[in-house]
Amino acid sequence: MRRANVIEKDTASIGTLKDLTNVFESLASTQVAKVKNRATLSKQFFQLLWERYTAIRVDPKKRITNREETGNGRKVLVLISAEAGLSGDLDQRMIESMQQEYARGSTDIIVLGSHGASQLTQRGIPYIRFFQVPESDSYINVNPVIEAVLPYSSIAVYYEEYLSLGQQEVRRIDLVTHMQDLSKNAEEGVITADDTIFEPSLDEIADQMEITMMSLALSQTILESGLAQAASRFNAMTVAEDRASELLGEYRLEYHRAKRSESDRRLREVLVGIKKKRREAAAAGNK
Amino acid sequence: MSKNSAILNKINVIARAPFQVYYEGEADSLSATNRIGKFDILPGHADFFSVLHPGDIVIQNGDAEPTIFPIVNGIITVRDNEVRLFVNM
Repeated sequence: MRRANVIEKDTASIGTLKDLTNVFESLASTQVAKVKNRATLSKQFFQLLWERYTAIRVDPKKRITNREETGNGRKVLVLISAEAGLSGDLDQRMIESMQQEYARGSTDIIVLGSHGASQLTQRGIPYIRFFQVPESDSYINVNPVIEAVLPYSSIAVYYEEYLSLGQQEVRRIDLVTHMQDLSKNAEEGVITADDTIFEPSLDEIADQMEITMMSLALSQTILESGLAQAASRFNAMTVAEDRASELLGEYRLEYHRAKRSESDRRLREVLVGIKKKRREAAAAGNK
Repeated sequence: MSKNSAILNKINVIARAPFQVYYEGEADSLSATNRIGKFDILPGHADFFSVLHPGDIVIQNGDAEPTIFPIVNGIITVRDNEVRLFVNM
């Protein structure tokens, strides 16, 4: 049996660990609430912009929404992973899911997040570009990623979707189709150059709107992934905290047993000592 | 002049960034900057789409202090007396 003072030290360490996991759990919970609010605002913004975009008459053959005719004939898989660990097994599941679609000859991989990049490297899967997950309280700059994916004919994004605090799933979307899906209910009358002033020109404004919408669609997947990772982190911390509480209980029990055992041992030693003294005293009396 | 402005003498303004609402409501005027220079949107403005340049957006409503916020980029659309500003994207 371990000594009581050793167990006491371990109990103190587990107590600190429990407090830490509790703090991480609270942080993850706050993060979930914050990101959910940003995701809602972003969806509203996209909807308002899309209403205006769908109303302007532009040549669909030139548009981003018609990538199959204008792209480079290759497919790009964009992987949105966590910037660091502590997000459970979500990134591993996402990479396993992506591997089913990955064809080395005709597909390139762009990865966002250090955790995903290291997981790909461990599996020997090459990626052509790496970006840190762009994050800010007010602005997500995805322009470098958009520039990297624009030449491709097909753009698939793998990300982690938040379903609930207890459930997160790996999702795959076609970015262009996703842009169209986000705007399902948007309807607005036709706007033409005959009745509207365009500055600098209708085409340039449409280009700007498309890039913005594509950035927004990508930003939303990043937000969604952040939300899922925060939820996953929350769950991991909850499990860790529960385990720490269990351990703490076990350690306390072990500590009390060890204390009891030590005091019993001391008592035995004292009793043995008394008996010995009595025997010695009795032996001296007999002489 | 659009039908709404003739009655209201106000413009409806929605000014948003992807994660932020700067202004939503009626206003007397809105000032911004595009490639040509500074311009104002007043009630009854013609339908108008423009790419914005960096600068301040100024929204004036009544005698209240104007709402002023800086932008780095944006698109303005004016349609039927409703102004939508999509900024800092």
